[in-house]
Amino acid sequence: MSIGILSIIIFLPMISAFLLMIIPLSSRPTRNIAFGVSLVIFALALYIYAHFELTGTLQFKEFYPWIKSYGISYSLGIDGFSLIILMLIATLIPSAYLLLWNNARSKSYWINMLFIQSGISGTLFSLDLFLFYFFWEAMLLPVFMIIGLFGSGNRVFSTLKITIYTIMGSLFMFVSILYLGVAHYYEFGMWSFALSDLINITTIAREHKILLFFGFMLAFAIKIPLFPFHSWLLQTYSNSPTGGVFLLSSIMAKLGVYALVRFMIPLFPDLFVEFSAYFVALGIFGLVYFGIAAICQMNIKKMFAYSSASHLGLITAGVFALNVQGMMGSSFLIVAHAIATGGLFLLVGVMERHLGIRSLSALGGIATKAPWFTLYFAIMLFCTVGIPGTNGFVAELLIVLGIFHYNPYLGVLSALTVLVAASYMFWVFQKAVLVKSDNDVSQMKDLSAHEIIGLFPLAFLILAMGVYPDLFLYKIEPTLQYYLLDILHVGVQ
Amino acid sequence: MSVILAFIVLAPLLSSVLIGLLYMFSITKKPLRKRWFTIPALFAPFISFVLGLSGFLYVAKYDIPLHFQPYLWLGVGEYKIYMGFLGDKLSLFMVLFITFVGWLIHLYATSYMSEDKGYGKFFFYFNLFLSSMLLLVLADGPLIMFIGWEGVGLCSYLLISFYFQDNANVVAGNKAFIVNRVGDLGFLIGLAILFFYCSDAGFSYATIAAKISTMPLWLMELVGIALFIGAMGKSAQIPLYVWLPDAMAGPTPVSALIHAATMVTAGVYMVARFAFLYELIPTIGLFIAYIGAFSALFAAIIATKQSDIKKILAYSTMSQLGYMFIAVGLGAYSSALFHVFTHAFFKALLFMGAGAVIVALHHEQNIFKMGKMRHVTPVVYMSMLIATLAISGIPPFAGFFSKDEILLVAFSSGEYVIWGIAVCSAVLTAYYMFRLFFVVFEGKNIKHAHHPHDVSWVMKAPLVILAIGSLCAGFVGLPSLLGGSHLIGTWLGEWGMRAVHVSHETEWWLLALNVAISLLGIGIAYKKFSAYDFSKHQEVTKGVVYNKFYVDEVYDFLFVRSIKKLSEFFAVNLDVNIVDRFIMGLSYGVIKLGHLVALVQNAHVRLYALIMMLGISAASCYLIYVLG
Amino acid sequence: MIANSLFMYITVAMILFSIGLLGVISRKNIFVIYMSIELMLNAINLIFIALSNYHHDMGGQVLAMFVIAIAAAEAGVFLSLIIVLYRRKKTLDSDIFRTLSQKEAV
Repeated sequence: MSIGILSIIIFLPMISAFLLMIIPLSSRPTRNIAFGVSLVIFALALYIYAHFELTGTLQFKEFYPWIKSYGISYSLGIDGFSLIILMLIATLIPSAYLLLWNNARSKSYWINMLFIQSGISGTLFSLDLFLFYFFWEAMLLPVFMIIGLFGSGNRVFSTLKITIYTIMGSLFMFVSILYLGVAHYYEFGMWSFALSDLINITTIAREHKILLFFGFMLAFAIKIPLFPFHSWLLQTYSNSPTGGVFLLSSIMAKLGVYALVRFMIPLFPDLFVEFSAYFVALGIFGLVYFGIAAICQMNIKKMFAYSSASHLGLITAGVFALNVQGMMGSSFLIVAHAIATGGLFLLVGVMERHLGIRSLSALGGIATKAPWFTLYFAIMLFCTVGIPGTNGFVAELLIVLGIFHYNPYLGVLSALTVLVAASYMFWVFQKAVLVKSDNDVSQMKDLSAHEIIGLFPLAFLILAMGVYPDLFLYKIEPTLQYYLLDILHVGVQ
Repeated sequence: MSVILAFIVLAPLLSSVLIGLLYMFSITKKPLRKRWFTIPALFAPFISFVLGLSGFLYVAKYDIPLHFQPYLWLGVGEYKIYMGFLGDKLSLFMVLFITFVGWLIHLYATSYMSEDKGYGKFFFYFNLFLSSMLLLVLADGPLIMFIGWEGVGLCSYLLISFYFQDNANVVAGNKAFIVNRVGDLGFLIGLAILFFYCSDAGFSYATIAAKISTMPLWLMELVGIALFIGAMGKSAQIPLYVWLPDAMAGPTPVSALIHAATMVTAGVYMVARFAFLYELIPTIGLFIAYIGAFSALFAAIIATKQSDIKKILAYSTMSQLGYMFIAVGLGAYSSALFHVFTHAFFKALLFMGAGAVIVALHHEQNIFKMGKMRHVTPVVYMSMLIATLAISGIPPFAGFFSKDEILLVAFSSGEYVIWGIAVCSAVLTAYYMFRLFFVVFEGKNIKHAHHPHDVSWVMKAPLVILAIGSLCAGFVGLPSLLGGSHLIGTWLGEWGMRAVHVSHETEWWLLALNVAISLLGIGIAYKKFSAYDFSKHQEVTKGVVYNKFYVDEVYDFLFVRSIKKLSEFFAVNLDVNIVDRFIMGLSYGVIKLGHLVALVQNAHVRLYALIMMLGISAASCYLIYVLG
Repeated sequence: MIANSLFMYITVAMILFSIGLLGVISRKNIFVIYMSIELMLNAINLIFIALSNYHHDMGGQVLAMFVIAIAAAEAGVFLSLIIVLYRRKKTLDSDIFRTLSQKEAV
């Protein structure tokens, strides 16, 4: 094929979005076309998965020079870590479309969703730092539109907050990227921003290297989010429309972790190992802090926002644990968390559609009216809490084992994850779904057929990955081993 | 042949999935008749029992354990964890009585739950529970056991909060789950330590046992304590027992199966499984024995003043579990398991009988509103009598032999304090159990709120079968003192019984003492309650003992309230006030700076002119003087 | 002596220029601002002519002609603008015209 499959995955949604902007269609056909595009992407992702080989290297590579005079190239590639996130995106977005089926009033909703999908795929596959930055920023603008146009509450303020906050972090990252490009020029006499070339730089002073590292880390820390760069989280999640919050929490946050692994490990391996203790501690702190803060929330979306941040703290800690259990656990938890939290936000969206936006004290007793809703909610809940039989358990187990291996005391703290999520998740299940209260919830209807079908792959994956995890993991293990052994030179497992 | 192990676990699992799907269909499309649920629900435990029995006979005949590893569950780096099942003497022994008693309780439940709308849902959860319990017992390694361990905790939550419309039940379910999880935290830490020392060749009991001696002693002790914390939570010992009395909020078959016969014994099973570890750390064993002893006494004291029939039985379960832990703590694993075996019979019988009485009196649970049930339900009366005699330790009923053996172990190992506590608890046990019995079945001048009716034979048949069991089960452990060959001891020989270092004479004296103290307890109860006059009854609502030593209140204050306060502190003060203010402060600062600069842009034309002049002059000076 | 007189000429021109400059900055009446601007232009003219005479270079006088022409054109534009502005605001106070400022705009 002259056009690589990765390029198709990136540009197909974007091109369809442009066409849909120009062609005058109403909201429904636009939605159908967008859904069709996401299914095509799913098929392509399956193709890549089937043909993915078990070496630790980058595959399906493409390379075209873009801005020659500054060495900026259009360079794409996929390895184990991006593969699992690609499969995640490809599976989750069609499900999300099915659950958002009746949501939007105008076609710009769907067009923005397509743009976001393009931006996400682009960030995932870029091997050139400039291209990566381009897509990183491109992801933000459609989200800005969706939250600003279709959100609720104080939506304009929230969307400005997240956009400007993220861009501020990305600014530091951009400065670091430029510095790296210039350093490469001074050392090798030619410009290049490709990752494979920038790895070879050796002449940066250590103090500058630390600044560069933290420049990148600031952008990622804001995205993920890590404490204390999380203040955009609450307002944005609670004022976003369902599609927006789903994309933000399920996918875009994971890209922060992905970019961490993809770029920080090859570019600054010694600093990565040196500062790992701080980030593991920060991740675990976030786990406990956000988890406890979730308990007293009265707004369900805010509670799930904190839950999301809590798990992402655990994921980050796992990545910095410097062993294959930790990283494998993090990849697995990325998937598990995306599915479970995404599913929960979509279910909350369904509930809001029927009941309007309510606080926890105004709910109660939905279970008898909506059995399918309760069933799916329960499955997602079990995955979040980490009950065996779900992939959440496998993931959290691996991460705890990995952190334990890194440092036993931090490992004991990270084991608190089994308690933290249970406390607020069961509370919200009790208050909102199970117990009959005096509040009027007669408007609640159960899930419709396409919603049940849409959530089915999610529930199936949660259970299948919990029962037979190895089936899903063996493809990504060589990549993780490559990162750990070849790049970080961290011990033999 | 070893593949039957997988089917023992799978049969209830598949049936529960089937029942679940049928239930979803039944509530969303067309309601199905109860038969659709009953048949799979009863069929599956029966299959498991048959397969378990055949496995048991096989191992009895060939004396080699069954081991089955279908697939690699998780392979990370060089650590490989296999999904595997181990059917050796210990696990198949457990499987036998779990499936037998479980099947009987399923049968009982088909009558007990027959009026309930959530009939199908009940059996979905019930079979799922059975499957998890069997997985726990048949697992070949601690990680797979942990999956079953958490699975039974989950099903316990689902079943306790079965009547979920009522807040109190869901709160009880949450409590059970979270307290269990605290225990699981400890278990996980122990597991993690074991994982990094002993899992080079897979993570099964055999491979761990092989490498256990490479660990330093303090680390082994740590692992022992950590794993025992899990057992504390699961088996309701001090300090993680607070969920068990509240768990009685679930339907009675749930209490019978989960909180009497199976789940709560998982902790004992776990310690027995890890005998190879606990053998090496006898100080921790002593700690376990003390916890068991205190739990036994504590629970027995509280039970003497309770008036809810199920709560009394809950505390008695905790007390009997204390006995089991005394035994495992002192290294007598087979004695503990013998008591697990007999306890399953009489405790399940007690709960089911209590359920029968509750149903007969239209869901009344306060014993002081019952009375004279002897004439209403004679079959239940007889079975409960047998069970109460068994738990009080009267020969030749089942509980006598197992309890006697435990007391003998405590005495002969020199731990007289533990022995003393156990003896006191035995007196109290006989007292409160017969208090319950007399108040419910005897007494005079009682006016029942609703007219009581007898219960169906479907509920009575299991009672009878279990009564026979409570009568006979003790004989499998008949000690050599009385001429028996102690079948259980030989079967579980690996998990040996310490050789008893006391003379036969001492044994006879101890045996006589046990009988005497039980009769003492029964006697006191008889005097106080056998002719209890209900018309003169005063409801007890005060007192330290009645209020369960205020432990729940202490826990609520220490943990629940403080976490809520901490949560609010984090969410409101720290997050909103400090962190967010800082960031918003930054942005307001930038805006203020902009305003400051904007002061120049005030369209004051002459000011512009002035600035222009100044600028041009400065530039000119620069040009002339600096650049020359 | 010639230098001395050149110095005198330039001094006078500078004084005129400064007066014009101060007038532009500190006077409010638009006509006076205009007069000051013309004053500055004339001062510059003076300098050109003086220097041209000093250096015997016709260029200076040519430039002075240019400046006079431009001043005339500017006079036309300026005076028309003053008429338009007067029609707008009915006053000759230059401080009234503030609509481009931060406060007026919001």
